[in-house]
Amino acid sequence: MTVRDPLTGLTGFTDIKTPLAEIEQPPFEIPRTVPKLRYFLQAALALEFLTIPPYLTAMYTIKPGANQEAWYALRAVVLEEMLHMTLVANMLNAVGGKPVVADPRFVTDYPAKLPYAKEQVPIALRGFGREAIRTGLWIERPEKMEDLPRTGKEPDPRGWTSIGQFYATIREGMRRLAEKQPDLFDGDLTRQVGPEDFYNSGGRAFPVTDLASALKAIELISEQGEGVPGSIYNPDERLFGQANELAHYFRFMEVHEERRYGPLDTPASGPTGPALPIDWTAAYRIDPQAKVADYPPDSEVRLAAEHFNQVYARLLWLLDRSFNGEPKQLQAAIPVMLELRDLAAQLYANPHPDPARAAKGVHASATFEITQAELLAAKKQLDTGAGATALLASLA
Amino acid sequence: MSPARDLDGHRYDVIVVGAGWAGSLVAKRLGSQGWRVLVLEAGTTTLDTWPGHLDAMNTFYSSLIKVPNAPYRANTAAPSPSVLDTVPHKGVHRYQSVGYLVQEGPLPYGTDYLRAGGGTGMHWLGLTPRMLPQDFKVRTEFGYGRDWPIGYDDLQHWYCEAEREIGVAGDAAEQTREIGLPFPEGYVFPMHEIPSSYVDRVMAEHLDGKTVVDPGTDEPVELRVVNTPHGRNSTPNQAYDGGRGFRPQDAVGLPNYGERCVGNASCTPICPVQAKYNPLKTQAQWSRKVTLIDRAVVSRVLVADNGRVTGVEYQAYDDPATPVATTRTVEADVVVVAAHAIESARLLLASELANSSDQVGRNLMDHPVMLAWGLMPHQVGPFRGPGSTSAFERFRMGESRKEHAPWRLVIANWGWTWAAGSPGSDVAEMLGIPETPFQQRKKALYGVPLRERLGDRIGRQIAFQFELEQDAQPGNRVTIDRRHRDALGNCRPILSYDLSDHVKKGMQAAMGVSHQIFDLLGAEERTAYQADAPSYFEYEGTGYAFNGAGHGCGTHVMGDDRRTSVVDQWQRSWDHANLYLVGCGSMPSIGTSNPSLTMSALALRSVERIHQDLTELHRPLVLRPAPAPEYAHPTEARP
Ligand SMILES: Cc1cc2nc3c(=O)[nH]c(=O)nc-3n(C[C@H](O)[C@H](O)[C@H](O)COP(=O)(O)OP(=O)(O)OC[C@H]3O[C@@H](n4cnc5c(N)ncnc54)[C@H](O)[C@@H]3O)c2cc1C
Ligand code: SF4
Repeated sequence: MTVRDPLTGLTGFTDIKTPLAEIEQPPFEIPRTVPKLRYFLQAALALEFLTIPPYLTAMYTIKPGANQEAWYALRAVVLEEMLHMTLVANMLNAVGGKPVVADPRFVTDYPAKLPYAKEQVPIALRGFGREAIRTGLWIERPEKMEDLPRTGKEPDPRGWTSIGQFYATIREGMRRLAEKQPDLFDGDLTRQVGPEDFYNSGGRAFPVTDLASALKAIELISEQGEGVPGSIYNPDERLFGQANELAHYFRFMEVHEERRYGPLDTPASGPTGPALPIDWTAAYRIDPQAKVADYPPDSEVRLAAEHFNQVYARLLWLLDRSFNGEPKQLQAAIPVMLELRDLAAQLYANPHPDPARAAKGVHASATFEITQAELLAAKKQLDTGAGATALLASLA
Repeated sequence: MSPARDLDGHRYDVIVVGAGWAGSLVAKRLGSQGWRVLVLEAGTTTLDTWPGHLDAMNTFYSSLIKVPNAPYRANTAAPSPSVLDTVPHKGVHRYQSVGYLVQEGPLPYGTDYLRAGGGTGMHWLGLTPRMLPQDFKVRTEFGYGRDWPIGYDDLQHWYCEAEREIGVAGDAAEQTREIGLPFPEGYVFPMHEIPSSYVDRVMAEHLDGKTVVDPGTDEPVELRVVNTPHGRNSTPNQAYDGGRGFRPQDAVGLPNYGERCVGNASCTPICPVQAKYNPLKTQAQWSRKVTLIDRAVVSRVLVADNGRVTGVEYQAYDDPATPVATTRTVEADVVVVAAHAIESARLLLASELANSSDQVGRNLMDHPVMLAWGLMPHQVGPFRGPGSTSAFERFRMGESRKEHAPWRLVIANWGWTWAAGSPGSDVAEMLGIPETPFQQRKKALYGVPLRERLGDRIGRQIAFQFELEQDAQPGNRVTIDRRHRDALGNCRPILSYDLSDHVKKGMQAAMGVSHQIFDLLGAEERTAYQADAPSYFEYEGTGYAFNGAGHGCGTHVMGDDRRTSVVDQWQRSWDHANLYLVGCGSMPSIGTSNPSLTMSALALRSVERIHQDLTELHRPLVLRPAPAPEYAHPTEARP
């Protein structure tokens, strides 16, 4: 498949030929019923989550010590995606929904298509490189004002061209429903994740309890990614009095262009500030479509890749529980994320077990694959008290 | 031309000497009150950028010996002492000081400090216990040391303010229940307590509720593991500040990177994620009224005929590797010296100022740390979390203080790192590497057996740090001598240092308690003090060794009589009404609390007084806060 890169006008992402994993989705429209609204919010949750493994892959394939600016840019973006996921879960809980994370129907394999994206852009687990950054640019690209659905105007049923558009559609549905149904946001307050359970990044987790807080959540999510309309900055300063920070799209643009934004730059000017040298070769090369099945059975790499996926499944459960009435589980999720980081780093540092590919400089990688069986095993493990939750429970 | 050279003859409302902990707090508060503040910093300010932080991390990773100053680069113009400077030596003393400090003994002063932007607070450990109300009157109550001119109640409000500035994590209710600390009604710390380490929990399981006998008094003392308040990010407490909550301060140089403590256990010398408070976080909140000039070594405080100080003389240099400087002066209405207890004293002595009491440089105190270590019969999982999270607190208080020095019995969470250089020393031992190059190499373990043996050994390591109160002694002091100078020609600090019998008796009692605790734990005690250790001494037939804690205090002591103290209760020089000496040097006694929280409370209290002084000088003058900028960024159009 061929996709035009919105930035450079070049066609890109042509290396991926397999069909993209996709979640089941009813037509794209302004949600007119509460169940529809919940469904779209669940799709938004999946969308936020699906962006994280590709960003993590780009980050952890950077060779130790190299490209630190890019590393920290990716890290900031990942943390904010986690915040977005949390806020979406809060919205979903507020309207009486039940967020689903640990389910292969929502957390699909890669390469994936983002829910309700109009274009077939493959979201793949790419090692750090220009394509990986371009994927980020595609995900985070700002909406054009004229593409926004105006009141009453239905969105393009084929899907969104910017995530901001997707959220604008949800926002519109939410507004209308709230008018008709004053108790729309009456969800159980104990299911909300607040700043006690989540902080670490720009922005701030806050409970969603009414239309105003829901709109604020949407504003934050859209603008941390794409920037305050007409600017390169995110809304943290306005919403929380925090430092003025670049939105995701513009962070990626800096890396892509190997140049920083200057103080007077705008979305249109592009970055004209100081040079930001990137060493594109200082990264492990990996196969963006790697699967556990590629690795010989019982080989060390195979075992490590499987182990990684088991721990990943455990993380999904912890997030699932955090968003379903046990917000404290987010704390237990953190050591699991660190464990994933270390396991992934071991895989990336290891040459591909296939000698032919190894000879081409390809390395093994974490595949972020989830099956029902894996999830069940991970759940059992958690229930019988394995890993960090058990430790946390025993510490309480 | 460097900005430091450009300032010559300028005038400010306040000059702060030292951009370390105390200086950063003072500058923040005065700047936000609208005063024009100049901060002169002897060292460099590389650490306040993210690349600077990463450079320090890399320097730390690649250094062979991970001492507190390992991450920070050397500076010949503004040298810092290192704990590695004190080396064993056969001579008058058992050691020799080969670095910046001149040590005249008899015992070594075993700690360092850092002369760079941020100061020693860059490599502090991060513990913030308050002093006990009884600690402020040790002379009256227990017959040793010096009393304070103020008490706990005078500091209550300022303790709370300091806990806000630092971002303290802790359990105030437990502090009241277990230690009897009074807090304002309903007070909680800004953040919930740092979770106690697994080692702490093992200790609590074995020891909570058990008693040991204090051999100094034959009195029983109940053991109870109590979580320590910390200056590092945990979970913000929503109940703080009347329900307004608390947002932890971000990392410096990388906004939106203000992590919780993730337990890297390298707090000293450097916290990779900046979960631990450091003074650069305070500097990040400075208003535009504060000007920081680095690479400016203050060499003299200048005084007029009427006794008021007029400003300072400083040496501006460009290259930390090239000790070449030009001398400049700058003026102000008030001068605040906050250059660290030892350096502030050194500066006053060099300026021949503020010393009509002859107490400048005297009463140097630290918390001598006696280490005790052993092996548990089972795994206790050290090295997860900060270097220490809890302590046994009952030894800090009560009548036994009349007999011997009290101590905080700190539970170490870094195995034998401090006691015996683990894990490096364990690896060396198992590889059969001899202690001196002149011995034969012993049989070595490799591969899986080595890993297993190491895991087994390190996983069972426990250690206690008995941190004793040291009483103010006039003979423990900082002096200067023209013969000992640094590369810029400034006199280096000369230290005379000893432990009083009160402290030695404390160590004797602590050792008795330590044996009983190892027994109760069923642990194998491995404590051994080498007779050639620099700090080794014998007391009533038993050998002891100790380490420094880095808590230099007492060198410009506070009192209510100008004949016997250097500063009044506001840390204002008795001799010069517009000279303030701010820092641990003002403390007349230090109890068993790590001193920086109390120092911060004192500093914030002094700011109120300085503000008053300046307002009086400037009357009539209406102070207005600086107007907020109309928009934050030119590209961000606002309606
Ligand atoms: C290893 C270690 C661990 C510690 N752990 C703890 C702990 O857990 N809890 C606790 O409470 N305390 C702890 N401390 C003590 C704490 O670090 C100090 O109490 C605190 O930093 C003192 O603050 P200060 O502002 O007085 O001095 P500093 O923070 O040292 O600042 C002094 C500043 O003045 C500058 N300066 C010096 N001379 C001059 C000059 N001539 N001209 C201009 N500038 C000058 C220096 O460069 C420096 O920036 C620890 C100390 C050490 C060494
Ligand atoms: S334990 Fe680690 S993360 Fe926590 S304060 Fe210390 S160094 Fe920082």
